Amino acid sequence: MTIDQLIGAGVLAATLRLATPILLAALGGVVSERSGVVNIALEGCMLVGAFFGVVAADQSHSVVIALLAAVAAGAVLAGIHAVAAIHFRSDQIVSGMALNILALGLTSYLDYQLYGTTGTPSDLAGVPDVEIGLLAGVPYAGDAIAHQNAIVWASLVLVVLIQLFLFRTIPGLRLRAVGEHPRAAETVGIAVRRTRYWAVLASGVLAALGGAYLSLSVAHSFTDGMTGGRGFIGLAAMIFGRWTPVGALVASLIFGYGTALSFSLQGASIGDVRVPVQLLSTLPYILTILAVAGFVGRSRPPAADGIPYETEGHA
Amino acid sequence: MASNTQATPTGPATAPSVRQPTAQWARGPAVPIASVVFALAIGAVLVLLSGHDPISAYADLFRGAFGSPYDITETLIQTIPLVLAGLSVAVAFRTGLFNIGAESQLLIGAVAAGAVGARFADLPGFLLFPMVLAAGIGAGAAWAAIAGYLKAARGVNEVITTIMQNYIVVFVMHWLLQNGPMTAPNALGTPASSPIGAGAVLPIIIPNELVPLTRLHAGIFLAIGAVVVFWFLLWRTPLGYELRAVGLGARAAAQAGIDPRTHTVMAMAIAGGFAGLAGMIQVTGVFHRVFDGFSAGYGFDAIAVALLGKNSPIGIVLAALLFGAFARGGSIMQANAGVSSQLVSVIEAIVLFVIAAELIVRLLSARRGRKPVEAIA
Amino acid sequence: MTVSPQTERERGGMATAVAAESVPLLEMRGIRKRFGDLEALKGVDLTVRQGEIHALVGENGAGKSTLMNVLYGLYRPDAGTIAFRGRPVHLTGPRDAIALGIGMIHQHFMLVPPLSVAENVVLGDERSGPVLAERVIEDRVRELEKRFGIVVDPAARVEDIPLGLQQRVEILKVLYRGSELLIFDEPTAVLTPQEVDELFDIVRGLRDEGKTLILITHKLREVMAVTDRITVLRGGQNVVLRGGQKVAELITKDTNPAEIARAMVGRELKELRARATPPREQVVLEVRGLQARSDRGAPALQGIDFTVRAGEILGVAGVGGNGQSELAQCLLGLRKVMGGTIHIGGIDISRDDPKRTRARGVAYVPEDRRIEGLVLAFTVADNFILGKHDHAPYARRGVLDPATILKTGGRLAAEYDVRPPNPRAIVANLSGGNQQKVVLGRELSEQPKLIVVSQPTRGLDIAATEYVHERLLEQRGRGAAILLISSELDEIRGLSDRIAVMYEGRIVAVLDAASATEERLGLLMAGHTEAAA
Repeated sequence: MTIDQLIGAGVLAATLRLATPILLAALGGVVSERSGVVNIALEGCMLVGAFFGVVAADQSHSVVIALLAAVAAGAVLAGIHAVAAIHFRSDQIVSGMALNILALGLTSYLDYQLYGTTGTPSDLAGVPDVEIGLLAGVPYAGDAIAHQNAIVWASLVLVVLIQLFLFRTIPGLRLRAVGEHPRAAETVGIAVRRTRYWAVLASGVLAALGGAYLSLSVAHSFTDGMTGGRGFIGLAAMIFGRWTPVGALVASLIFGYGTALSFSLQGASIGDVRVPVQLLSTLPYILTILAVAGFVGRSRPPAADGIPYETEGHA
Repeated sequence: MASNTQATPTGPATAPSVRQPTAQWARGPAVPIASVVFALAIGAVLVLLSGHDPISAYADLFRGAFGSPYDITETLIQTIPLVLAGLSVAVAFRTGLFNIGAESQLLIGAVAAGAVGARFADLPGFLLFPMVLAAGIGAGAAWAAIAGYLKAARGVNEVITTIMQNYIVVFVMHWLLQNGPMTAPNALGTPASSPIGAGAVLPIIIPNELVPLTRLHAGIFLAIGAVVVFWFLLWRTPLGYELRAVGLGARAAAQAGIDPRTHTVMAMAIAGGFAGLAGMIQVTGVFHRVFDGFSAGYGFDAIAVALLGKNSPIGIVLAALLFGAFARGGSIMQANAGVSSQLVSVIEAIVLFVIAAELIVRLLSARRGRKPVEAIA
Repeated sequence: MTVSPQTERERGGMATAVAAESVPLLEMRGIRKRFGDLEALKGVDLTVRQGEIHALVGENGAGKSTLMNVLYGLYRPDAGTIAFRGRPVHLTGPRDAIALGIGMIHQHFMLVPPLSVAENVVLGDERSGPVLAERVIEDRVRELEKRFGIVVDPAARVEDIPLGLQQRVEILKVLYRGSELLIFDEPTAVLTPQEVDELFDIVRGLRDEGKTLILITHKLREVMAVTDRITVLRGGQNVVLRGGQKVAELITKDTNPAEIARAMVGRELKELRARATPPREQVVLEVRGLQARSDRGAPALQGIDFTVRAGEILGVAGVGGNGQSELAQCLLGLRKVMGGTIHIGGIDISRDDPKRTRARGVAYVPEDRRIEGLVLAFTVADNFILGKHDHAPYARRGVLDPATILKTGGRLAAEYDVRPPNPRAIVANLSGGNQQKVVLGRELSEQPKLIVVSQPTRGLDIAATEYVHERLLEQRGRGAAILLISSELDEIRGLSDRIAVMYEGRIVAVLDAASATEERLGLLMAGHTEAAA
């Protein structure tokens, strides 16, 4: 095992790449849960984003249209969850799980029907990489880090934007109030249900963007179930990051680093002992359990999270 | 300082199926049946939209599942782990808990059974089989009990813990089976363990002359036995009474001296035991070894099986049979009609969603002009 | 409603200038409100004059909060009219009420704990662009505080400040929106005596600034201390008797606590039932210095002392929320005892869990039978064995015996007059009275030594109520010690040998039944202590 394998430029660059889909899902989770709705269906939103992005790219040969299609698909799936959770007040976990299974089944089904066994075409319009010149100057890792996909940069910008939105704007204040104490918000005239609908739709958009990143920027194709649980890891990052965008970023980077490390350390050893890289990959999940159990600081979701809201007998 | 709110980890307070409608018609099989029909209808539309004939697709589905004795045995092979995983999820629901981790409990049971079965492969059956059985059930139970303990002692929502546990087990299996401690060379070309000893293998129960090439194994008896155990435990023992009381009226149970926290741990352990048994049966009956990625997601289908079967023994068996038929028939349907077998996933997801949204109940109640009233514990 | 607050208030201001007191600020007439089976308001009137502090008084469940929720737009009345400054209004929600200048300080604060004081005050009416400028809103709140003499740190997080200060945030919220009519719902429920005095200063200050206040309360001290007029509600209706003439409201300086108390709690004085046998000598339950906390962490029991003998019923009277629930829970082992002791038959059970406590012969009829007393989804028979399900004759060697369970269920159902006496019936489908009979059958059938009963006849009709009372007296005759917690004075006075009154976590008096008149109890329950004698 060498230092380069641990924190070489390649590993750092990979960290950012691997963290991005997780981060986008986590941001979606933050927005949704801050308004009080548990959105387990982010995995599904990611997957439909990945798939419909590819389909649109194939049909239109335009990156812009592909991205729009992707986020629209994510919004639709999230919208169904929103109706179930907010209007029908159904159990948000079951509804979310059902939509995940639906997304997996539907995308796999359509993938087979549209592309058969040959798979998606290889000449898809892809989201371009962008070089940030300033960063290239950073010593040691600058070269590797400065060259990332546009969506990677976009997600970092989104971290800042959402953080500012939640904690420095009035609409963000209201959204947080709705997630903490919806009845108090209602008594001062805030539209609880409408706020939650918007938040859940936004979470679907964000997760779908993460899916589009996977299919249009990284793999340039679609394979069944390609999100591989990143939506759930995103939820873990959200919890670990204490339901804040910046926290989600830190958590996603940690999780991304763990994965990057497991690639980099393939075949490595400390002395005679082989490094069990797969076990390293379990780290994010163990950390999340510890965090939720209160062993690693106090991790508390918005107080009204996951609880369907009943308006009183008035208009 | 004093405040009005209580901090709870992500997730709702009561597991979903614990709420029961009091309307008489909603208590029987009407709602599950209607949900399935509704989902099949939407599936048919989907097939039509992709340019195929739904009737022939569904016909292929049915034929693939029940068309010949061989098909029936294949369906049963799919049904067995679904029944057990469904029992796992159901026993947790009955206690007011949401066991999303049946998948990981199943896998861990399989790994333990496979490890013990291979390690002691030379022991005779009457010794080896009980060991393997105990390993499978015990591993699943212990793994699930962790989630139960965290909930009881620290209030951690079991949904989060079990989802995380699902991933941990997947990676542990990667480690064990990909050039790891349990890896063994094999002709399959996939990462797998050494085969288990002959003493632990579940024999095929139908002779070749009757149904050629059948794989139906004695695990079906274990599954039936498990259903009986499930029923007996919940409705004929004091422990089962207590579990149901905690699930339906935790506060009344508490004031009567039934401690919800200990019962949380016990319920999760029992649930894990059922799921671990499912994994053990897959190893000893079907594959005779453990290989990486072998579970077909039974643990997740089990959630739908439990909800569709209303957490009751007969219901779970029927729902598992339905999903087993879907699983088996789906692959035939894909081969013959060119309709992706994933259609069944779509149908299953719609069924689950319809149940979650209590759509059927609400639609029909609305038509009768009444709001569905719930007797919430 | 789309009337803007400014013009409404300007008009109001001119109106009062021209005709000082001719038009009351608020007139509610004939308000009715029903929730399912329960008729909470049966045609209530309320008149409030500009610049006065008006008390809305009554026991729990009298309808005070419901009436104010109607005024605030949270509920829509089934019938009746509301006139504000002489003009009829229709409220579709709190926004309309706020626009009129009506503000509510809720009993259970409507504050978002992780947000700051200033954020909570301006939430929903931020009056700035999309950007949240903390400094600006904090300064705005400071100005408001200075004007009305209310002090609380605008930058502090609400979850970090004590309840007394949280209440000030609620008041500021309402003042920020320019409320002219402020409704205080049980404002002193969570305050210490010092905080109560500080609140009174604020209240008087608000009145001096020209505001009109409605105080919902059952505490006579407050009523006498700060209010001008009093409207009394009981059972969803206005009620005052003064020399036979029905008067809609009392004028504070012309009345006294005794009169108010009598209006709040009493009907005609009832005959006391003669006790069949006197209580025995043996002490069954002895409680000394019992201390406990509420769910929120506030002190709920502040040193309770009492004893109950065999063959005696000790009634615990008091308005709900003064520690009675916590007392019952401590006795059963459902709540942690923070100090003091509980002895049953000489054995200290203060650290025992419910299972062990019950094994000592303690029975419990909880105040919420649907959630605490019964598993609604279980059958009658299954509920009868709750707590006894794991031993003979219901279970042998780890296996339940359904035949015996059903047989016992049938027997107990018949014995305790459950209708229909079908042990397989699901309890959720029984009426309230029959549900309570199931609870009684379970708790009373095995000769308990001590019976803790809480609000046993809440929501029951007359026949069921009488049945419950008969069974309790029967147990008393058998030699059981009974602790009867109830906010129904008739029930307490009819059944008890002695009566203890609870107020704010303490027992303020223990009276013999004979000397416990309605008036005396009413005063004690409302916190009005008697002169030492």
